Amino acid sequence: MPGRDPAAMASQGVALQQKLGRMLSKSVGKPVLKPNKPLALKDEATCITEMSLLMACWKENDFSDAACSSEVRAFFKCAEKAEAARKAEKGTTVGQKGILHPKQANSLLRRYPNQYKEI
Amino acid sequence: MAAFTATLLKPWTPRVLQIRWSRYNPYYLEPEPRKEVYSTPETELTPEQLKERELKSVRPIKAAPPVVHSSVFSDPMISKFINMMMKGGNKILARNIMLQTLENIKRKQVEKYHKAPDAEKAGIECNPYVIFHQALANCKPVIGLVTIQRGSRHYQVPTPLTDNRQRFVAMKWMIAECRENKHRRTLMDEKLAQELLAAFANKGPVVKKKFELHKMAEANRAFAHYRWW
Repeated sequence: MPGRDPAAMASQGVALQQKLGRMLSKSVGKPVLKPNKPLALKDEATCITEMSLLMACWKENDFSDAACSSEVRAFFKCAEKAEAARKAEKGTTVGQKGILHPKQANSLLRRYPNQYKEI
Repeated sequence: MAAFTATLLKPWTPRVLQIRWSRYNPYYLEPEPRKEVYSTPETELTPEQLKERELKSVRPIKAAPPVVHSSVFSDPMISKFINMMMKGGNKILARNIMLQTLENIKRKQVEKYHKAPDAEKAGIECNPYVIFHQALANCKPVIGLVTIQRGSRHYQVPTPLTDNRQRFVAMKWMIAECRENKHRRTLMDEKLAQELLAAFANKGPVVKKKFELHKMAEANRAFAHYRWW
Protein backbone atom coordinates (compact mmCIF):
# COMPACT_ATOMS: atom_id res chain seq x y z
CA MET A 1 0.00 0.00 0.00
CA PRO A 2 1.40 3.44 -0.77
CA GLY A 3 2.89 5.44 2.12
CA ARG A 4 2.64 2.76 4.86
CA ASP A 5 5.69 1.67 6.82
CA PRO A 6 5.47 -1.77 8.53
CA ALA A 7 7.61 -0.78 11.56
CA ALA A 8 5.45 2.28 12.26
CA MET A 9 2.32 0.18 11.84
CA ALA A 10 3.64 -2.43 14.34
CA SER A 11 4.34 0.25 16.98
CA GLN A 12 0.89 1.72 16.34
CA GLY A 13 -0.60 -1.75 16.89
CA VAL A 14 1.15 -2.12 20.29
CA ALA A 15 -0.01 1.34 21.42
CA LEU A 16 -3.54 0.48 20.30
CA GLN A 17 -3.54 -2.73 22.38
CA GLN A 18 -2.40 -0.80 25.47
CA LYS A 19 -5.11 1.83 25.01
CA LEU A 20 -7.69 -0.92 24.55
CA GLY A 21 -6.55 -2.59 27.76
CA ARG A 22 -6.95 0.67 29.66
CA MET A 23 -10.44 1.23 28.23
CA LEU A 24 -11.61 -2.26 29.24
CA SER A 25 -10.05 -2.47 32.72
CA LYS A 26 -11.79 -1.46 35.98
CA SER A 27 -8.57 -0.48 37.79
CA VAL A 28 -8.23 2.88 35.99
CA GLY A 29 -11.66 4.35 36.82
CA LYS A 30 -14.88 3.19 35.16
CA PRO A 31 -14.41 0.94 32.06
CA VAL A 32 -15.28 2.88 28.91
CA LEU A 33 -15.99 -0.26 26.82
CA LYS A 34 -18.29 -3.09 27.88
CA PRO A 35 -18.35 -5.41 24.89
CA ASN A 36 -20.99 -8.17 24.97
CA LYS A 37 -19.37 -9.91 21.94
CA PRO A 38 -15.65 -10.47 21.24
CA LEU A 39 -13.97 -7.44 19.72
CA ALA A 40 -13.12 -8.05 16.06
CA LEU A 41 -13.23 -6.14 12.80
CA LYS A 42 -16.60 -6.63 11.14
CA ASP A 43 -15.74 -6.85 7.45
CA GLU A 44 -12.15 -7.61 6.63
CA ALA A 45 -10.85 -7.95 3.10
CA THR A 46 -9.13 -11.33 2.79
CA CYS A 47 -5.75 -12.14 1.21
CA ILE A 48 -4.50 -8.53 1.13
CA THR A 49 -0.94 -9.47 2.16
CA GLU A 50 -0.65 -12.17 -0.50
CA MET A 51 -2.04 -9.78 -3.09
CA SER A 52 0.46 -7.06 -2.17
CA LEU A 53 3.36 -9.54 -2.31
CA LEU A 54 2.20 -10.74 -5.70
CA MET A 55 1.94 -7.20 -7.01
CA ALA A 56 5.39 -6.31 -5.71
CA CYS A 57 6.79 -9.36 -7.49
CA TRP A 58 4.96 -8.35 -10.69
CA LYS A 59 6.35 -4.86 -10.52
CA GLU A 60 9.90 -6.22 -10.26
CA ASN A 61 9.56 -8.87 -12.96
CA ASP A 62 7.48 -6.93 -15.48
CA PHE A 63 4.26 -8.89 -14.86
CA SER A 64 5.64 -12.25 -15.98
CA ASP A 65 3.69 -15.16 -14.49
CA ALA A 66 6.58 -17.61 -14.71
CA ALA A 67 8.82 -15.52 -12.46
CA CYS A 68 6.13 -15.03 -9.79
CA SER A 69 4.71 -18.58 -9.78
CA SER A 70 5.25 -19.14 -6.01
CA GLU A 71 3.45 -15.89 -5.11
CA VAL A 72 0.62 -16.79 -7.49
CA ARG A 73 0.28 -20.19 -5.81
CA ALA A 74 0.25 -18.62 -2.34
CA PHE A 75 -2.42 -16.14 -3.47
CA PHE A 76 -4.60 -18.94 -4.89
CA LYS A 77 -4.22 -20.99 -1.71
CA CYS A 78 -5.28 -18.02 0.42
CA ALA A 79 -8.24 -17.33 -1.89
CA GLU A 80 -9.33 -20.98 -1.66
CA LYS A 81 -9.13 -20.94 2.14
CA ALA A 82 -11.12 -17.69 2.32
CA GLU A 83 -13.77 -19.12 -0.01
CA ALA A 84 -14.03 -22.33 2.06
CA ALA A 85 -14.32 -20.30 5.28
CA ARG A 86 -17.06 -18.17 3.78
CA LYS A 87 -18.96 -21.25 2.59
CA ALA A 88 -18.69 -22.83 6.07
CA GLU A 89 -19.89 -19.65 7.75
CA LYS A 90 -22.82 -19.37 5.35
CA GLY A 91 -24.38 -22.55 6.69
CA THR A 92 -24.33 -21.63 10.42
CA THR A 93 -27.67 -20.69 11.92
CA VAL A 94 -26.78 -17.68 14.07
CA GLY A 95 -25.00 -14.96 12.09
CA GLN A 96 -22.51 -12.32 13.15
CA LYS A 97 -25.05 -10.00 14.75
CA GLY A 98 -26.33 -12.79 17.02
CA ILE A 99 -29.65 -13.18 15.20
CA LEU A 100 -30.87 -15.43 12.40
CA HIS A 101 -30.68 -14.36 8.79
CA PRO A 102 -34.22 -13.51 7.57
CA LYS A 103 -34.12 -16.25 4.92
CA GLN A 104 -33.13 -18.89 7.49
CA ALA A 105 -35.84 -17.64 9.88
CA ASN A 106 -38.41 -17.92 7.07
CA SER A 107 -37.43 -21.47 6.15
CA LEU A 108 -37.51 -22.58 9.80
CA LEU A 109 -40.93 -21.02 10.36
CA ARG A 110 -42.17 -22.68 7.17
CA ARG A 111 -41.12 -26.06 8.53
CA TYR A 112 -42.91 -25.47 11.84
CA PRO A 113 -45.85 -23.23 11.00
CA ASN A 114 -48.45 -21.83 13.38
CA GLN A 115 -51.48 -24.07 13.84
CA TYR A 116 -54.77 -22.28 13.14
CA LYS A 117 -57.03 -25.31 13.06
CA GLU A 118 -57.21 -28.29 15.36
CA ILE A 119 -56.51 -31.44 13.39
CA MET B 1 -69.21 -30.86 -36.98
CA ALA B 2 -69.94 -33.69 -34.63
CA ALA B 3 -66.56 -35.28 -35.34
CA PHE B 4 -64.81 -31.98 -34.60
CA THR B 5 -66.58 -31.55 -31.26
CA ALA B 6 -65.70 -35.17 -30.43
CA THR B 7 -61.97 -34.37 -30.85
CA LEU B 8 -62.34 -31.47 -28.41
CA LEU B 9 -63.71 -33.81 -25.74
CA LYS B 10 -60.70 -36.19 -25.97
CA PRO B 11 -58.25 -35.95 -23.04
CA TRP B 12 -55.23 -33.96 -24.22
CA THR B 13 -51.78 -35.61 -24.17
CA PRO B 14 -48.68 -33.88 -25.52
CA ARG B 15 -47.26 -35.25 -28.77
CA VAL B 16 -43.73 -35.35 -27.46
CA LEU B 17 -43.24 -36.69 -23.93
CA GLN B 18 -40.16 -35.64 -21.94
CA ILE B 19 -37.92 -38.36 -20.58
CA ARG B 20 -35.17 -36.13 -19.18
CA TRP B 21 -36.36 -33.84 -16.42
CA SER B 22 -34.43 -31.25 -14.47
CA ARG B 23 -36.25 -31.90 -11.18
CA TYR B 24 -36.42 -35.53 -10.14
CA ASN B 25 -37.90 -37.24 -7.13
CA PRO B 26 -35.15 -37.47 -4.46
CA TYR B 27 -35.01 -41.26 -4.66
CA TYR B 28 -33.70 -41.18 -8.25
CA LEU B 29 -30.00 -42.05 -8.37
CA GLU B 30 -27.29 -40.33 -10.42
CA PRO B 31 -26.13 -42.05 -13.64
CA GLU B 32 -22.62 -43.52 -13.68
CA PRO B 33 -20.90 -42.84 -17.03
CA ARG B 34 -17.44 -44.25 -16.24
CA LYS B 35 -16.73 -47.66 -17.77
CA GLU B 36 -14.21 -48.78 -15.11
CA VAL B 37 -16.94 -48.92 -12.48
CA TYR B 38 -18.83 -51.57 -14.42
CA SER B 39 -15.82 -53.70 -15.30
CA THR B 40 -14.45 -54.12 -11.73
CA PRO B 41 -15.43 -57.57 -10.34
CA GLU B 42 -17.35 -57.87 -7.11
CA THR B 43 -14.30 -58.98 -5.11
CA GLU B 44 -12.50 -55.64 -5.53
CA LEU B 45 -15.33 -53.48 -4.25
CA THR B 46 -15.66 -52.11 -0.74
CA PRO B 47 -18.84 -53.00 1.25
CA GLU B 48 -20.25 -49.51 0.61
CA GLN B 49 -19.77 -49.87 -3.12
CA LEU B 50 -21.47 -53.30 -3.06
CA LYS B 51 -24.38 -51.74 -1.18
CA GLU B 52 -24.59 -48.97 -3.81
CA ARG B 53 -24.69 -51.54 -6.58
CA GLU B 54 -27.54 -53.40 -4.88
CA LEU B 55 -29.40 -50.13 -4.48
CA LYS B 56 -29.07 -49.45 -8.20
CA SER B 57 -30.98 -52.60 -9.06
CA VAL B 58 -34.00 -51.39 -7.07
CA ARG B 59 -34.09 -47.62 -7.47
CA PRO B 60 -34.77 -45.69 -10.70
CA ILE B 61 -31.86 -43.71 -12.23
CA LYS B 62 -31.99 -40.20 -13.71
CA ALA B 63 -31.61 -39.89 -17.48
CA ALA B 64 -28.01 -38.93 -18.34
CA PRO B 65 -27.71 -35.41 -19.80
CA PRO B 66 -25.80 -35.03 -23.09
CA VAL B 67 -22.94 -33.30 -21.25
CA VAL B 68 -21.96 -36.53 -19.51
CA HIS B 69 -19.60 -38.74 -21.57
CA SER B 70 -18.15 -42.20 -21.21
CA SER B 71 -15.64 -41.96 -24.08
CA VAL B 72 -11.88 -41.54 -23.65
CA PHE B 73 -11.93 -38.55 -25.99
CA SER B 74 -14.30 -36.47 -23.87
CA ASP B 75 -12.71 -33.43 -22.24
CA PRO B 76 -14.81 -31.20 -19.97
CA MET B 77 -12.84 -28.06 -20.89
CA ILE B 78 -13.32 -28.64 -24.61
CA SER B 79 -17.03 -29.32 -24.04
CA LYS B 80 -17.32 -26.01 -22.18
CA PHE B 81 -15.53 -24.21 -25.01
CA ILE B 82 -17.84 -25.76 -27.59
CA ASN B 83 -20.88 -24.69 -25.57
CA MET B 84 -19.58 -21.15 -25.36
CA MET B 85 -18.98 -21.01 -29.09
CA MET B 86 -22.42 -22.42 -29.87
CA LYS B 87 -25.00 -20.06 -31.39
CA GLY B 88 -28.73 -20.73 -31.42
CA GLY B 89 -28.35 -24.30 -30.17
CA ASN B 90 -26.32 -25.40 -33.19
CA LYS B 91 -24.08 -27.81 -31.28
CA ILE B 92 -23.17 -29.76 -34.41
CA LEU B 93 -21.64 -26.71 -36.06
CA ALA B 94 -19.81 -25.62 -32.90
CA ARG B 95 -18.38 -29.12 -32.40
CA ASN B 96 -17.25 -29.32 -36.02
CA ILE B 97 -15.53 -25.95 -35.72
CA MET B 98 -13.71 -27.19 -32.61
CA LEU B 99 -12.58 -30.41 -34.26
CA GLN B 100 -11.42 -28.52 -37.33
CA THR B 101 -9.52 -26.09 -35.08
CA LEU B 102 -7.71 -28.97 -33.39
CA GLU B 103 -6.90 -30.46 -36.77
CA ASN B 104 -5.55 -27.12 -37.99
CA ILE B 105 -3.36 -26.80 -34.91
CA LYS B 106 -2.02 -30.31 -35.48
CA ARG B 107 -1.31 -29.63 -39.13
CA LYS B 108 0.56 -26.41 -38.40
CA GLN B 109 2.62 -27.96 -35.64
CA VAL B 110 3.51 -31.05 -37.69
CA GLU B 111 4.57 -28.80 -40.57
CA LYS B 112 6.74 -26.84 -38.18
CA TYR B 113 8.15 -30.07 -36.79
CA HIS B 114 9.21 -31.37 -40.17
CA LYS B 115 10.77 -28.09 -41.20
CA ALA B 116 12.70 -27.62 -37.98
CA PRO B 117 16.30 -28.79 -37.53
CA ASP B 118 16.85 -31.89 -35.38
CA ALA B 119 17.92 -29.93 -32.31
CA GLU B 120 14.59 -28.08 -32.06
CA LYS B 121 12.35 -31.04 -32.92
CA ALA B 122 11.93 -32.18 -29.31
CA GLY B 123 10.74 -28.73 -28.24
CA ILE B 124 7.79 -28.55 -30.66
CA GLU B 125 4.47 -29.65 -29.12
CA CYS B 126 2.24 -31.47 -31.63
CA ASN B 127 -0.63 -32.61 -29.39
CA PRO B 128 -3.50 -30.13 -30.04
CA TYR B 129 -5.19 -30.91 -26.71
CA VAL B 130 -2.03 -30.01 -24.78
CA ILE B 131 -1.73 -26.80 -26.80
CA PHE B 132 -5.39 -25.95 -26.13
CA HIS B 133 -5.08 -26.42 -22.38
CA GLN B 134 -1.79 -24.58 -22.11
CA ALA B 135 -3.06 -21.69 -24.25
CA LEU B 136 -6.15 -21.25 -22.07
CA ALA B 137 -4.03 -21.53 -18.91
CA ASN B 138 -1.83 -18.72 -20.26
CA CYS B 139 -4.93 -16.57 -20.85
CA LYS B 140 -6.43 -17.04 -17.39
CA PRO B 141 -6.22 -13.87 -15.27
CA VAL B 142 -4.87 -14.32 -11.73
CA ILE B 143 -6.68 -11.30 -10.27
CA GLY B 144 -9.93 -9.63 -11.27
CA LEU B 145 -11.45 -6.19 -10.86
CA VAL B 146 -14.78 -5.56 -9.20
CA THR B 147 -16.71 -2.26 -9.28
CA ILE B 148 -17.46 -1.08 -5.75
CA GLN B 149 -19.36 2.08 -4.95
CA ARG B 150 -18.10 4.27 -2.10
CA GLY B 151 -20.19 7.39 -1.77
CA SER B 152 -20.84 8.63 -5.27
CA ARG B 153 -17.64 7.30 -6.82
CA HIS B 154 -17.19 3.89 -8.37
CA TYR B 155 -13.83 2.20 -7.79
CA GLN B 156 -12.25 -0.77 -9.58
CA VAL B 157 -11.13 -2.98 -6.71
CA PRO B 158 -8.72 -5.91 -7.23
CA THR B 159 -10.13 -9.20 -5.97
CA PRO B 160 -9.24 -12.91 -6.23
CA LEU B 161 -11.19 -14.88 -8.82
CA THR B 162 -12.58 -18.40 -8.50
CA ASP B 163 -11.30 -21.15 -10.79
CA ASN B 164 -14.57 -21.23 -12.75
CA ARG B 165 -14.55 -17.50 -13.28
CA GLN B 166 -10.95 -17.52 -14.53
CA ARG B 167 -11.69 -20.29 -17.00
CA PHE B 168 -14.85 -18.57 -18.21
CA VAL B 169 -13.09 -15.25 -18.71
CA ALA B 170 -10.20 -16.84 -20.63
CA MET B 171 -12.57 -18.67 -22.97
CA LYS B 172 -14.78 -15.61 -23.44
CA TRP B 173 -11.82 -13.43 -24.35
CA MET B 174 -10.56 -16.01 -26.83
CA ILE B 175 -13.91 -16.39 -28.59
CA ALA B 176 -14.65 -12.64 -28.60
CA GLU B 177 -11.20 -11.88 -30.01
CA CYS B 178 -11.68 -14.37 -32.82
CA ARG B 179 -15.18 -13.17 -33.64
CA GLU B 180 -14.60 -9.42 -33.58
CA ASN B 181 -11.04 -8.46 -34.37
CA LYS B 182 -10.31 -10.59 -37.39
CA HIS B 183 -10.87 -10.28 -41.12
CA ARG B 184 -14.48 -11.01 -42.09
CA ARG B 185 -13.71 -13.74 -44.62
CA THR B 186 -11.48 -15.96 -42.44
CA LEU B 187 -13.25 -19.01 -41.01
CA MET B 188 -13.58 -19.48 -37.25
CA ASP B 189 -11.42 -22.58 -37.09
CA GLU B 190 -8.52 -20.80 -38.80
CA LYS B 191 -8.82 -17.78 -36.52
CA LEU B 192 -9.06 -19.94 -33.41
CA ALA B 193 -6.07 -22.05 -34.41
CA GLN B 194 -3.97 -18.91 -34.92
CA GLU B 195 -5.05 -17.41 -31.60
CA LEU B 196 -4.53 -20.62 -29.63
CA LEU B 197 -1.03 -21.09 -31.01
CA ALA B 198 -0.20 -17.45 -30.20
CA ALA B 199 -1.52 -17.85 -26.65
CA PHE B 200 0.46 -21.08 -26.27
CA ALA B 201 3.60 -19.04 -26.99
CA ASN B 202 2.47 -16.30 -24.55
CA LYS B 203 2.02 -13.79 -27.36
CA GLY B 204 -1.07 -12.48 -29.12
CA PRO B 205 -3.94 -10.16 -28.14
CA VAL B 206 -5.62 -12.39 -25.55
CA VAL B 207 -2.52 -12.74 -23.38
CA LYS B 208 -1.98 -8.99 -23.83
CA LYS B 209 -5.49 -8.39 -22.49
CA LYS B 210 -4.69 -10.53 -19.46
CA PHE B 211 -1.54 -8.50 -18.79
CA GLU B 212 -3.47 -5.27 -19.09
CA LEU B 213 -5.96 -6.51 -16.51
CA HIS B 214 -3.07 -7.36 -14.18
CA LYS B 215 -1.58 -3.89 -14.69
CA MET B 216 -4.92 -2.24 -13.90
CA ALA B 217 -5.22 -4.34 -10.74
CA GLU B 218 -1.70 -3.36 -9.73
CA ALA B 219 -2.47 0.31 -10.36
CA ASN B 220 -5.61 0.08 -8.21
CA ARG B 221 -4.01 -1.87 -5.36
CA ALA B 222 -4.68 1.03 -2.97
CA PHE B 223 -8.41 0.31 -3.15
CA ALA B 224 -8.04 -3.34 -2.12
CA HIS B 225 -9.36 -2.53 1.36
CA TYR B 226 -12.72 -1.44 -0.07
CA ARG B 227 -13.59 -5.10 -0.36
CA TRP B 228 -15.52 -6.66 2.51
CA TRP B 229 -15.35 -10.34 1.60
